Parts: sequence; C-alpha cells; structure tokens
Amino acid sequence: MSYPAAASDIQVGRADGKSASAFIKGLGLSNIVMGVITAVILFVFVAPFLLVLVVSFGEKIEGASWVWGFDFSNYIRVFVGVDWPNSVTLLYTLKLYYTLAYAVLGSLIAVGFAFPFTYFMTQGSRRSQAMWLVFVLASLSMSEVFVVMGWDILLSNRSGLPALLKAVGVTDWLKETGWLTVLRDWDLASPRNVKFKTSQLATVLTMAYLVWPYAVILLFAPLSRIDRSMIEAARTMGAGSVTVLRTIVFPAVRLPVFGSLLLLFVYLLGTYVTVTYFAEPAHQTLPVSIYESIRGATLNAPFGAAQAVILLITAGIFIGFSLLLARLAERKA
Amino acid sequence: MPGLVLAGIKKTYGQVTAVDNIDLTFPKGKLTALLGPSGCGKTTLLRMIAGLEDPSRGTISLDGNDITEKPANRRKFGMVFQSFALFPHMSVAENVAYSLTIAGVDKATRRARAEELLDLVKMAGFEDRRIGQLSGGQRQRVAIARALAQKPDVFLLDEPMSALDAQLREAMQVELRLLQQKLDITTIVVTHDQREAMTMADQIVVMSNGRYEQIGSPSEIYHRPASAFVASFIGKANFLKGKAKDGGVDVSGFLFRPEPAASFLNGSAVQIACRPENVSLSSADEIGPNRLAGTVTFLRDIGPTREVYVETPVGTVICEMPASTETVFSQGETVSAEFPPHALRLFPDTDDVAGAQSRSDTGEGGGSIASNKQDVAA
Repeated sequence: MSYPAAASDIQVGRADGKSASAFIKGLGLSNIVMGVITAVILFVFVAPFLLVLVVSFGEKIEGASWVWGFDFSNYIRVFVGVDWPNSVTLLYTLKLYYTLAYAVLGSLIAVGFAFPFTYFMTQGSRRSQAMWLVFVLASLSMSEVFVVMGWDILLSNRSGLPALLKAVGVTDWLKETGWLTVLRDWDLASPRNVKFKTSQLATVLTMAYLVWPYAVILLFAPLSRIDRSMIEAARTMGAGSVTVLRTIVFPAVRLPVFGSLLLLFVYLLGTYVTVTYFAEPAHQTLPVSIYESIRGATLNAPFGAAQAVILLITAGIFIGFSLLLARLAERKA
Repeated sequence: MPGLVLAGIKKTYGQVTAVDNIDLTFPKGKLTALLGPSGCGKTTLLRMIAGLEDPSRGTISLDGNDITEKPANRRKFGMVFQSFALFPHMSVAENVAYSLTIAGVDKATRRARAEELLDLVKMAGFEDRRIGQLSGGQRQRVAIARALAQKPDVFLLDEPMSALDAQLREAMQVELRLLQQKLDITTIVVTHDQREAMTMADQIVVMSNGRYEQIGSPSEIYHRPASAFVASFIGKANFLKGKAKDGGVDVSGFLFRPEPAASFLNGSAVQIACRPENVSLSSADEIGPNRLAGTVTFLRDIGPTREVYVETPVGTVICEMPASTETVFSQGETVSAEFPPHALRLFPDTDDVAGAQSRSDTGEGGGSIASNKQDVAA
C-alpha cells in the first residue's frame, strides 16, 4: 500500500517546516534584532571609512575625475610633496602639525578654564549650579558658524577689541612702551594697532571657546562627586583654595580631566570654519586642505582621502600614546 | 583664661536654628565630648570651631585671641573626620605629612615627622602603603596621625569611631584617650555614643536641640543628671510621674521621698528618675515609702548584670543587679521594688526624655516611663 509511505512523506515535510521555525526561535528575536542593528552600524560606520581608504590609493586624472588604483603617491605627497624625490615640500606636514597643535592647545585651554570654573560652580548652591548649567547648555546650542561670527566681530580690527583698545588709549601706551613691536613679532599687531585677525591666537581661542561648554559638562559630574570632607580636611591642615585645587581636587579627578582632554582634542581635529576664518592660509589645517581637495579648488579626491586617512591614523597614534602615558602614570602612582 | 572659649555662639540656616546661644569653655589640655542625639547641633558646633562654618552670632577665642573670623586654613586646628577623609592618591606617609608639605617643610623632615607620628599611632612600617590597602582601624590611626602632624592647638574629632566595628571601637577609645593624655592637647570629640564619651572625656557637654543640657564630668553627668533628658540619654533610667507633695512625690497614691527633699510646690507635675542598678528587689511582704509592689514579667542576663522587669501599678520598672547575685527571681513572682532616697532625681514633668520606649499611664497624674535607651556601641 502507498498510503503509509505518503503519510510518512507528509510527516517529513512538516518536520522540515518545524525545524526552520525552531531554528529562528532558537536564535531568539532579540539576537536577530541585535544582529541587524550591528550590520547596519558596521555598514554606516565602516563602509565610508573603507571607501575613503580605497579611494586614497586612487589616481587623479587631470581635467577629469579619478580612477581606482593602488599606489602610495598621495601619501608620499602629504609628507614630502608632489615633486619628491627631486625636491621636498613640507606643506601638508605643516598643515598636519597645525591641526594637532591647534587641537592640543584648544583642548588644553578649554579644560584649563573649565576645571577651576566647574569646581567653584560645584561649591555653590544648587540654585546657582542649575543656573550655570542652563547657561552652559544654552551655549552648546550655538553652531560653530554662529560662534565664529560673534568672535569675528569681537576680534575685528575696526569694530572689535582692537578698536576698543585704541579708543581707551591702550594702543598708544603699547606704542610708547615698545610692546606693540613685540606684539608685531608675535603676529598680533599691525604698525597701527593690535590685531587678532588673522592670528593663531584667535584661532586657538575660538576653538577653545567652542569646546569649553563640553569641558564643563564633562567635568561637572566627577567634580560634584568629590568627597567634600577631603577638601575640608585639607583646609584644616593649612591649605588655601588654590592649594586645595592643585593638591586634592585635581589629583582626584585627573582621569576625567585626561578623558575630557582627549575627547575635545579629537573633536577639535575636525574644526573647519574657525580655521578658515581666523588662520591665515599658511597656518591652516589639514581638514581645510581635505575639503579643498574633495570639493574645493583642487578637486583631487584621492589626495584628499589620503590626507583624511593620515589625519585619522595620527590622531589614533596620539590617543594611543596618551593612554599609554596615562597608564604608566597610574602604575607609578 | 586659657583654652578655647565660645561666647554666645548661634548658627541659623534660614528659619532653622542649628546652634542656639552657646557659651562654653574647653579647658586647655582636656578632652571634652560633645554628646547628643542626631541633629542636636554638635557637629555644627565643631565645624564652627574648626572654621568650616561661620557662626551667625557670637565669638570664638583661643587663649584670649578672637579667632571667629580666622579661616580654617589659618587656625592650626587638627581635625579627624567621620569618613577619615584620607587622600587616596597619596601614600600613608604623604597623607600624614600633607600639612608639612604645603607649609614648605623639607622632604627629610617631613618623612621623619610622618614616621614619628605613625609610630605614635602604632602604624610604623606602613609609610609607603596606599590608603586603599588599609583596614578601617588603620585608616583611623592614619587620620589621627595626619591631624596631629601640624602640632595643632586644638584637636577635633567628628564621630571618629562611627566607621569602626564594636570591638575595635572599644579598643580605639582607650588608645585615643591615652594618646590625648600623652600629648596633653585640648581635644573636642563629637559623639552620639554615651559610652564613648564616658570612656574618653574629662568633661561631657550633653546637647539637645542646639543647646547644651548639662556640662560636667562623666560621673557627674551619670549620677547627677541636670534634666530628665540627660538622665534618659546617658544610660538607663526608670521614670515615675507624679505630683509634688510635702517634699516628696505622690505617684498614683504611692509616696516617694527623695534625699534631699524635693523643693517643688505642692501639686506641681514632677517626674522621678532612678537608675535601674539603684533599684533593689525583695520579697513582696516588705512595704513602706519608696516601694512599689509588682510582678516579674521578664528577666535577662547581660553578661555581668541581670535585668528584671517588674510590672507595677505605675508601670514597668527595670531593676539591674549583678549576675552573681544569689537571690533568684522567677517570672510571675510577686516582688517589692525599692527606690533608695539618695538615688532619686527629681525633674519638672515636661516630657523631655530622650529614647523613651515604653510608657504606661496608670490613672490621674501618675505613670512611669522605663527609658531603656541602649548604648549605641553595644
């Protein structure tokens, strides 16, 4: 009889259907959702980076776009110039240097100002703390373009700080005492008056201002958590406010301070608008050059990509080295 | 007059008065304990002495010099905090020598002083340890050594034993007292533990609601409490409520005659306090003044002593006797509790009793409170 065989076939078919659904059930819905999210994140974050990496080895076609390729000429150009080995040009290496220097100085100034400010803020009443936090959070809502515009007016030669200094007689005093000549040597004055535009000082200060609210927010929680009795103990042992800050508070929050510095450093590496506004072309940074290569005058996507990859690797080395130093310092302590 | 003197010290936070018009003298070289329940203002008072809080009113002077306006970092007062407040990023020696470091003392002298102080608190050999590697007792010793490093004029301790376990606390109380006597330094200890205060102090200031209730030696405070609050806060006491009558007290028809006789007006509300160890029990057929007949309801042996709870017509009375006493009472037995005249302390009946746990009113104008406040350290 064929009936039992047919029944057996049907049973096999049902078993297969069950095993597929059992397999999905075995995986678990949460695991499936997590897998999909991981795949999307990998695609969104890793794919663009891989594309930039691949493009950086491509070749620019004069008068046209670029073609896929695999040579290191774009990387060599960043470090020693396009005419190497006939001649060496450090134009882009200098841009890398300014990128790192501005980011380091900007983050140091921001954290340097934010640390005492936030500490004294945490010593105030809850009401004053809340008011300051609202102010700091409100300043975060301003875009880089808005901040730069404000600082542009503040530092402009005709209507800003230089005009004010001239009006109140500081400029004349600087001329009389010879300080204006010193400021000219530092690129902070013209023969007639002090000037902040264009200058590296204005660039760094604006960058510091940009990230200062972030520094306050990053330091607020660790500084609020400091055991007040440690501060009071130090005071009873003869320490004044500054000594307490230096010998007790700072060592207690050195890791959050270091973390804030690294975070702001990475953030400032990509600063574009501030640098284009306040730094003269010879002192501009790699992000400006990258933008010019990709969308600006030069239109050389492979070279822009190579600069981006070098900036990323340099930042990685910088952060890795900093973490290593921090770990060594912790071990020594 | 030498020593630390507080005159009319008051501290208010908005509408709340934490310390109210305190006049106190802390004798030079003596250990004074500020004793009281939580929220009585003792820590606020200590913090004002240290310069960590500004008094709303009054003056603080040391050896005749007004230091009220002097900031904490210029008072040269060593302080041990409840949490010890040691600096975790420094070694034990660095912690101890902190005051010397910021004073610019050279490294060799700092190290020598740290070693000397650590030796004093029996922590020699721990100089290079991290704070995280120390036990609670060791941390306390380091905190004491650190506070003493600057050779302070006054040594302040804010509940220094509260973070320690009971056994260690007992040992440290004795050690701290010996150390204070050795250094002969004016010391103020804040505590809510009456046993701790009685163990260490030359003088106890019992505080309540921002004021002091009594100042005296541990013996005076215990045996001659100035108020019902002090009688109830320091040790245990039986409280009997009644009306003054011809130099005695009528407690629901039972007459109590103290020595010396009471000076209250006849009919005024009075409460009698009597320590449990002063109450003696005998067979029920003994009658007379200062006696209450009752039934034994509960017995317990607490190491060297035995407590007998007697239910009387005016409420529960506790009698404490040495555990070695040969007379044995049993639950349900009828007994007579005697209150010796010299052991009776009389106070106006203002309900001002700390730690009252049981109360039984037995009719018009009479009743008792058996204040069983246990030693916090126990």
